[in-house]
Amino acid sequence: MDDRTHSWLRPLVAVFVGAAFFLPLYLVVVNVFKPGAEIVPHPAALPLPPTLDNVDAVLSRPDNLFTFGLINSIAVTALSITILTVLSAMLGHYLARSKRVLAKVAMVTLLCGLMIPVPVILEPITGVLKTLGLMTTLQGLILVNVGYYVPFGVLLFMGFVRSVPLELEEAAELDGASKLRVFWQVVFPLLRPASASVLIFLGVWIWNDFLTPLILLGPDSGTTVTVGVYRAIGQHQSDFGAVFAFMFLATLPILVFYLALQKNFVKGLTGGAVKG
Amino acid sequence: MTETQHGTRGEARPAAPRPSPAPGAGGTARARRRSSTRIGPKLGRFSLFALPGLLAYVVFVLIPIGMTGYYSFTNRNPFNPPTKWVGLRNYGDLLGDQEFRQALVNTVIITVIVAVFANVGGLLIAMLLDRPTRLYVALRAIFFTPVVLSAVVISVIWQAVLTDDGLLNSLLRGIGVDDPPGWLSDPDLALYSIAWIITWQMLGFCVVVYLAGLQGVPRELQEAASIDGAGRFARFRNVTWPMLAPALTINTVMLLITGFKAYDQIQVITNGGPGAGTTSTMAFQVVQTAFNGNHIGYSSAMAAVMLALVATVSVVTLRLLQRREVTQ
Amino acid sequence: MRRSIVFCLVTTLAVAGCGVGEKPAATPASGGKVELSFLVFETPNLNAAFWDAAIARASAKVPGVTIKKLVTPNVDRTGYAKQLDASGHLPDILQSVNPAGFAEAGKLAAFTDDELKNFIAPKAGAVDGKVYQLPYNTQVIPVVYYNKDAFEKAGITETPKTYQDLLDVSAKLKAKGVTPFVVGGGGADTWADMYPLTGTVATDVYAKTPDFLTQRKDGKVKFADADFTKAAQKVADLAKQGYIDPAGLSRSYADTEQAFRDGKGAMYPMGSWFATSADNSKPDFEVGAFPWPSDDGTPVTPTFTGGGTSVSASAPNVELAKKWALAFDEDKENNDAFVKLDGSIPAIKGYTPPADMGPVYQATVAIYQQGMKDNSIVNAFSQETGDGSLPPGLADKSALGVQDLITGKKTAGEFASYLDDQWTKATQ
Repeated sequence: MDDRTHSWLRPLVAVFVGAAFFLPLYLVVVNVFKPGAEIVPHPAALPLPPTLDNVDAVLSRPDNLFTFGLINSIAVTALSITILTVLSAMLGHYLARSKRVLAKVAMVTLLCGLMIPVPVILEPITGVLKTLGLMTTLQGLILVNVGYYVPFGVLLFMGFVRSVPLELEEAAELDGASKLRVFWQVVFPLLRPASASVLIFLGVWIWNDFLTPLILLGPDSGTTVTVGVYRAIGQHQSDFGAVFAFMFLATLPILVFYLALQKNFVKGLTGGAVKG
Repeated sequence: MTETQHGTRGEARPAAPRPSPAPGAGGTARARRRSSTRIGPKLGRFSLFALPGLLAYVVFVLIPIGMTGYYSFTNRNPFNPPTKWVGLRNYGDLLGDQEFRQALVNTVIITVIVAVFANVGGLLIAMLLDRPTRLYVALRAIFFTPVVLSAVVISVIWQAVLTDDGLLNSLLRGIGVDDPPGWLSDPDLALYSIAWIITWQMLGFCVVVYLAGLQGVPRELQEAASIDGAGRFARFRNVTWPMLAPALTINTVMLLITGFKAYDQIQVITNGGPGAGTTSTMAFQVVQTAFNGNHIGYSSAMAAVMLALVATVSVVTLRLLQRREVTQ
Repeated sequence: MRRSIVFCLVTTLAVAGCGVGEKPAATPASGGKVELSFLVFETPNLNAAFWDAAIARASAKVPGVTIKKLVTPNVDRTGYAKQLDASGHLPDILQSVNPAGFAEAGKLAAFTDDELKNFIAPKAGAVDGKVYQLPYNTQVIPVVYYNKDAFEKAGITETPKTYQDLLDVSAKLKAKGVTPFVVGGGGADTWADMYPLTGTVATDVYAKTPDFLTQRKDGKVKFADADFTKAAQKVADLAKQGYIDPAGLSRSYADTEQAFRDGKGAMYPMGSWFATSADNSKPDFEVGAFPWPSDDGTPVTPTFTGGGTSVSASAPNVELAKKWALAFDEDKENNDAFVKLDGSIPAIKGYTPPADMGPVYQATVAIYQQGMKDNSIVNAFSQETGDGSLPPGLADKSALGVQDLITGKKTAGEFASYLDDQWTKATQ
């Protein structure tokens, strides 16, 4: 086969492309562990000997920008994605099974929501939150996340629900199980890969979102780590070590979260579709 | 916390009250879907399943959109009250607004570039990495990392790489290019640099999805085709490519979403410049007009046009998705 | 399955609970005092420690006030204040936020003449005759900072006195392979490209028509008129001759200063706040300063006075908040800190800067004092606040337009009519 004749070519090209692609990230990683004064003259050099000064500086900030941000980020992200997974699984299931015209309309409306950038509707959202008395609260931010990201969750679950045989649900129902029990005990476990995708994607997006928390939480209710990154950029424009360390630390939790769930993730994303 | 507790606990409670079945539900099912005629009417009860999700969407997305629509017919400006009804004037002004037109064109350019290049690049890299050994698995992780990073972080990184005295240009000078391009300072280039940055971030996503697709192509099919004497390209076209159609759809949807939303990169890297509006996108233009110029009324008209465009694209995308379902 | 979800929810709720609970603990409200929020911005110079100390000094003078410090996400505090206001959370006291718009909409409290008695220019930045932001300091915008070594190497012995001199100096530098001007404006810091134009508008427009923007508002003049177009033409020409490096359009503000420090250009037209930065962390060369020259050498000194603290009209106790703001801006030690860290020239009666200030700051203050003596003070274009300033959003648009002027995408005439169009759009 062709593979054997070019056996040296593939790994070579793959490594080269991978290295070129990785270069910008390499810059961040090496400079996190380099003394600040070394970064501008030698941006690409290896950090020898490595130092933890930049990381320490971020963790021991007197205003606790990172620590408080981390707590808020974890709370907002974890709660938002848990609620989102549950609600969009149910809604996705309903829309995938229902034949009603109303369901179709709901589906199209939800799909439109996928492509609306938050900034465009942020001003009226603050109006809604003010009316509900939820402005500058974590609850408000979480609810907005739920409303805004529900379409994406629905999209993923819908595709996946179709791959679950209807007969399974019917059989369970004939056994006398209630709709809710059927959904929780039969359908939902089968949707696990899709749940993993929803958790990862929305986790990444919500964790990384910066404009929504910036505006909805306001300055006095603490910030999230991503807002913290933005602030760190403003304060230390020339201190790349501090900025990179902040970015590195802010990204670490979500990266770990992804790695933990990645096996299920692709399956859920391509769902019934790729199975063909 | 009461709000969220209420929202979720309500669902987990088994004894939740159910609305009675809606009359006429599921009546349109066709003969070949016999099973659904049986389950159809019962589905009416399921609306409890649909409600919480839809409610959140309605309150936090649809109502704000409605408010935007309403504002677009007013001269709303929080710094210049009172707000008056101005009819279609904002939309009339939009027609002649060169900047908005440019922002629209820029958004389309970014979206198309991202959709094409991330798809093609993602497919090529996926084919390159479609081997089970450790090296390739590690490389996959590298390609996926940017997807997990925030746009703010990515913007800071690429700004450091692409400024005129940035890393890329010092590299180019090192290999003898005397006058390397101003990736972000040249008004003819900056938009493409932005599009590239977004492409770079999304590439890994496409790689992963295509890899899943490729792994779904049965080896027997490949081998059968190769026994039949089909060349490499013919094999790809006739065997692999059709199997990748769903992956293509998923990627395209994701890339369209990302392209249309482009905002953070502009805000952090170029502020819409260099020069008037060279890299301004629709989302950026809306925010600038609303928060910098205080013209909420006018920015709402922009947002409305944008939403109409988004709705059109969404409907087309939905068609694509449905066609896929038919062929599968 | 359900059990695991419930478990998940309980854990996350617990986490959220402590996330919410964190904040009251961080800012305890002590009994019997009025708590006022104070919006500040942090820069490498004005860092958290500086603000905390300055706030503590002011609070010591005004009993009964507890200050809750809020920090903007970036230096664009005006933009952030607008966003906060849009969501109904305008802070009670605001530092260096442009009052335009806020003042007209009645969102800020006006200071009385009596309250302003200690200020040198008590009417600076007034809106309809009323002052909403304490005019606590003056900045000369721009001062041309230059690299004395580079000048010497190019055989330049004297700083330019006329605009022609400036062009000659530039030609000499260019002949030596040195880029004459460092001008920034990249990234989100588009505003950093404005300084040459602020200089030429001062010498060619404001020297003759000091109230140009007021007249523009009344429709008596246009940007496309000859004077303003000429000012823009000068900037376009500087770029065309290669005296301004368009590479600056990709440099953020911090990178721009670094470029000057790295010797990537010999002259750095910048606001007077650069002075202490040059003194505090000295580049490898001596830094000199001269004012932006006019055609015939008549002195013109573009300055901005204002930039201090404002008070929200809806603060829980407006009188107390105003008292606190005054204490903050008039405090001698606070002003010393502003001088030392941010190169400010306090506009408080009887204030004298610390004696140990460095040479670049001294040279900068000398330019300002000469301007006072010559009576040559004019406004600094695009920096104005209050009556006779640009409408909201227009300063940003001008900065974007200047990028086009520098890259040659717009001629001076096109740039001027672009500003006229933008003015119409912004005020309709």
